[in-house]
Amino acid sequence: MIKFALALALIATPALAQVTTETPNPFEGKAEAAEAGHILFGKFNCAGCHAYDLTGGMGPDLTDTSWMYGGKAGEIYLSISEGRPRGMPAWKDKMTADEIWQVVSYIQSKRQ
Amino acid sequence: MRKSVLAVLLLCGAALPAMSASAPADKPEPKGAAGSFTGATANMAPNDPAGQWTRQARDYANTRYSPLAQINKSNVGRLRVAWTFSDGQMYGHEGAPLVVGDTMYLVTPYPNIAYALDLSKPGAPIKWVYQPNPDPRAIGEACCDKVLRGWAYADGKLIYNLLDDHTVAVDANSGKEVWRVLLDDVSKGPTLTQAAFVVGDRVYIGSSGGELGTNGWFQALDVKDGHTIWKAFTNGPDAGALIGDDFKPFYSWMKGKDLGVSSWPGEMWKQGASAPWGWVSYDPDLNLVYYGTSNPGPRTPSQRPGLNLWSSALFARDANTGHAKWAYQLTPHDEWDYDGINENVLIEIPWKGARRKVLVHFDRNGFGYTIDRATGEVLVAEPFGHQNWASKIDLTTGMPVVNDAAHPAVEKKVENICPPDIGVKNWNPSAFSPRTGLLYAGVFNSCMDLTNHIVQYIPGSPYDGMEMVRHAGPGGNWGEFIAWDPVKGKRVWSIKENLYVWSGAVVTGSDLVFYGTMDGWFRAADARTGKVLWSQKLGSGITAAPITFTGPDKRQYVAVYTGVGGGAGVLRREKGFMPGGNTLYVFSVDGAGIGSGTTQLVSHAEAAAPVSVPPAAAHN
Repeated sequence: MIKFALALALIATPALAQVTTETPNPFEGKAEAAEAGHILFGKFNCAGCHAYDLTGGMGPDLTDTSWMYGGKAGEIYLSISEGRPRGMPAWKDKMTADEIWQVVSYIQSKRQ
Repeated sequence: MRKSVLAVLLLCGAALPAMSASAPADKPEPKGAAGSFTGATANMAPNDPAGQWTRQARDYANTRYSPLAQINKSNVGRLRVAWTFSDGQMYGHEGAPLVVGDTMYLVTPYPNIAYALDLSKPGAPIKWVYQPNPDPRAIGEACCDKVLRGWAYADGKLIYNLLDDHTVAVDANSGKEVWRVLLDDVSKGPTLTQAAFVVGDRVYIGSSGGELGTNGWFQALDVKDGHTIWKAFTNGPDAGALIGDDFKPFYSWMKGKDLGVSSWPGEMWKQGASAPWGWVSYDPDLNLVYYGTSNPGPRTPSQRPGLNLWSSALFARDANTGHAKWAYQLTPHDEWDYDGINENVLIEIPWKGARRKVLVHFDRNGFGYTIDRATGEVLVAEPFGHQNWASKIDLTTGMPVVNDAAHPAVEKKVENICPPDIGVKNWNPSAFSPRTGLLYAGVFNSCMDLTNHIVQYIPGSPYDGMEMVRHAGPGGNWGEFIAWDPVKGKRVWSIKENLYVWSGAVVTGSDLVFYGTMDGWFRAADARTGKVLWSQKLGSGITAAPITFTGPDKRQYVAVYTGVGGGAGVLRREKGFMPGGNTLYVFSVDGAGIGSGTTQLVSHAEAAAPVSVPPAAAHN
């Protein structure tokens, strides 16, 4: 799986200068990115708050339909990288851009 | 596994019809209607006036016993709402109101707003409000909702913890802040949810954060200004844990130097949690404080081989110096998240022809312990509900005998481990009656299918690794309310409930025991038989402890906060789980008292002549 992540990192576009809410996921449609994101979701303790089945606990449910900070790829990316009020930490100093996009892929693959 | 399940079922008499009390055939017989089942008694120091409720458990011993008897078996059926108070906060409500003089004190969950209500005036109006404005980053660090389990009154101050690691003292008359001290760094994971506990000029505080890779601690602050008098880390070198020459654990495997370091791999003790987030009790004769510690971190046990001392353990410490006198690890190398933080109720029991000073502790691991509180010797350890992780506690070693099938595995599902992480009982405090000699507790009946994952320590994020599916235990009911004989280690009666019984209990001088359910029923049962004498459906589930007090009008009231939440939220998808809430309900016989009647309003006549009444409008 680590190999997957590395391979994906290499094909990703050069470090994105500025992600906006409209930025598309560079891994859009790539199942292996979602699988790499699944591993990262556990590794970075996302599951500790959002649960291994993504239905929430300490943090909100990630499988439901309507989100305060939006459910588009760029919006989810920003929620992870910058953090959000009332509990979501900022992960931009702990995860690479590609890792965050892979987690975005995983979350999007699990939304109903 | 199945055999032990059946054995426990038989032992506990768990398969009982819903909402009916049952007694096993070998139940002890009380010596007449007023007699005690066990001969157990308690020191009710500091012997507050009968109608007051000035600390969470009413006394140092944590009995939650009230001698009041105006509400009794003959009139309890007439209990009605006298008045209510909603505080507007939607996180789980876990604390009990305090009544000091003519004032009631309430504190909400985060953002931890305090209210003083004037019980001498109609409708119990707000006397003052105090808003501490805690740091909102704390919201993301509290594992199990943004709760507060109680507050303390001492020296004219209301003293309590803020979720963001501050402890505050508020002037009880004016609502002005007297002092505020910062005890930890919330950005790293620790929070404060514990009920501050006061003895004399000291307030005892324990940290929270068992799932956040914290370094748990317990400390004594000065009631006057909040400065730290002593602080004991749970894990790490003996010096920091205040373990010295006077530390004498009863069992040999807990003796040795710096076991809080050597029972962990490398320096993992630094993130080993073991946070003392539960109740504190105090013995004024021995001058010892008692409390328990949380699960070790991370929750995945294969990452931390060793006993992981002093996680999931009980401590007895000198109240003045903090020096540990004894400790007892309830669940060595805890593999299931069985925190040892539940209340320790200090009582005296007849034991082999003599009186013994003991503590009774219903542990999350499912065993009800009766322990000599001077020495740490376990006298009784019997299951008080359904469990299958251990066949017994070996009383010669103090060690549990763990069933092979109960060990979890990484990336592999292990089915039907009982209880799950939340235990056979959680922090919800029990009550003890010196009249019946029994303890009364809300308990859980459930199991889990557990899959573990390897986790890494990232400060401020969960250090966890347990993925589980919980299901109801034998009989299909999630909860029960039980009466327990602490001498024999047996149930005396039990009441089946649909969901976990996660409320505290209070028992009275008229042998009534009150508790609440997560599906919103507040009940009074006969403390001798378990017969339910009164129930009232309320607006939300109950996860707080009831109290009873005498108002300025000399009337006895019973009060309980509704507002289901906290750890009880693990059942939020079960049928019957109610939405959150934040209403304090106060009951009296016939609902009489300061909250109703016609006397509050004065009608002014505005016209001399009678006003004519227009005819009712016709409907088209």
